[in-house]
Amino acid sequence: MADEPRTNDMPSVRGEANNLKLVSRATYFKEATLKNLFLLCAFMAVAGVALIFVFVGYRGWPIFSEVGAGNFLFGMEWLPTKGLFGILPLFVGSIVVTLGALLLGTPVAVGAAVFLSEIAPPKIRSVVRPAVELLAGVPSVVYGFFGLLILRPIVADLTGGLGFGPLTAWIILAIMIIPTIATLTEDALQSIPDGVREASYAMGATTWQTISRVLLPAAKIGIVDAIILGMGRAIGETMAVLMVVGNAPGFFRGMGEPLSTLTSQIVMDMPYASGMHRTALFGMAIILFLVSMGLVLTVRLLSRLREETS
Amino acid sequence: MPLLSGCSRGTSAQDKIIVTGSTTIQPIAEVAKEDYERRNPDQVVLVSGVGSSAGIENVSSGTSDIGTSSRELKDEELDLGLVDTPIAYDAIAVIVNPSNPVTSLSKSQVKAIFQGAITNWSEVGGPDMEIGLVNRDEASGTREAFAKIVLDKERFDPTAVILPGTGQVRSVVAQEPRAIGYISLGFVTDDVHAVAIDGVEPSEATVVSGTYPVQRVLHMFTKGAPTGLAKRYLDFVLSPDVQESVVRDAGFIPITAKGSNGG
Repeated sequence: MADEPRTNDMPSVRGEANNLKLVSRATYFKEATLKNLFLLCAFMAVAGVALIFVFVGYRGWPIFSEVGAGNFLFGMEWLPTKGLFGILPLFVGSIVVTLGALLLGTPVAVGAAVFLSEIAPPKIRSVVRPAVELLAGVPSVVYGFFGLLILRPIVADLTGGLGFGPLTAWIILAIMIIPTIATLTEDALQSIPDGVREASYAMGATTWQTISRVLLPAAKIGIVDAIILGMGRAIGETMAVLMVVGNAPGFFRGMGEPLSTLTSQIVMDMPYASGMHRTALFGMAIILFLVSMGLVLTVRLLSRLREETS
Repeated sequence: MPLLSGCSRGTSAQDKIIVTGSTTIQPIAEVAKEDYERRNPDQVVLVSGVGSSAGIENVSSGTSDIGTSSRELKDEELDLGLVDTPIAYDAIAVIVNPSNPVTSLSKSQVKAIFQGAITNWSEVGGPDMEIGLVNRDEASGTREAFAKIVLDKERFDPTAVILPGTGQVRSVVAQEPRAIGYISLGFVTDDVHAVAIDGVEPSEATVVSGTYPVQRVLHMFTKGAPTGLAKRYLDFVLSPDVQESVVRDAGFIPITAKGSNGG
């Protein structure tokens, strides 16, 4: 880096400590300031995660030491006013709600991605793609209202209950995760070189054969990535779920029977919880944090795998 | 007292009071706030409906000047040093869909329904239709009062739908023929039907006479005896202006309607 021709007419720069940078002092300071500013930005993101983890961990830890990990994680009853802090039914509720939403949402999302990437003529694509992206921008409380006012009565007629329960939440969440899964799947399909498609067609394969035997297998890891990120979105969703799931903190009993999840229970209880109850809510936040950390790590591992195989 | 009054005139820290708590009392506190501020333009009242338990917690921790509550203090809250100012009477109405032919229930039938012992409307003289229970969340003062008066503090059916607000309970009951819920009498509209309990319809007359069984007192709590602005606001809430108009308009019954000691 030492000697490049000087472009500027700043004689004083060469003077002392700055003689490695052959630019004006002003430019040098600007560069250094920007570099440090971006470093600070990156640091803020990391510090944010670290601070939240430390705070939630600090506030939630006593639930493990005082109530006991077994009673907390595997307790069968969530009755905080009676001193029972078992979150197993809530955890099961979160899993039930999330998996159902994935089962409903994934085929639609992958189908939409295949259509956008492989089939749609540009004109249609220019309408469908913004529509899918718009889905991601709708606030979750709007989804909740839609579920409460439109879907709930329909589900009530179907199941014979009041329409609050996993089925309503599945449908709402499935719609909510479609943009996440669809856009990432489309990216994965787009990253397959066109040569692969040309080779397939040259072998006489039809469009369907190309998609199902060549492209989808090739994009497999990217699609799994997309599904996992969609899962993260579903398990963390709070407001829309709270509004339609019924919030009865018992075990899953059926598609049309009320249920509660970790996130919705935290919101329901936070306004009035105190003492160990509040600690338990932070403990639930720890569990959610660990689950989403696990999901992110899985995605990282998979994308490393993808880099190695390609 | 810390001197925080460096800002412009009329908005120093001492000219502001914070009122938080019951969503049931929210309409009274809110309208009273507006009237109060109109009469005292240099004073600010902040009102927020966060649930009775949160209100009690806030006033005892000092983050609010007044905590409103639609339930009595629990045993563990008795030694927080809170002073009670009763501000109104309220009845809790048990509501059903207007299409439901059941218009009267006994108190013990209501208890059995909300405990999950009775699960079909035919058991209480209605059509053969499953009962859809709608309960409130645990932060609700209405739930607390209902549990105390009707359920004798026994457990609710744990499989009931739990909704976080009076409005949501009412809208679901208004839409679903099989639903039953409970809300404050002040929130009953024509969309839902309030059933008679033990043959008594909920109304001001039956609350004042003490014959309607599911009734309660609405409270405003202060930490210690009310002083300063908090006392002026409470006096205003208890004045005939508020009691006869705001309280009544909100569907509640003035605290002055009964003799000195009612129900």
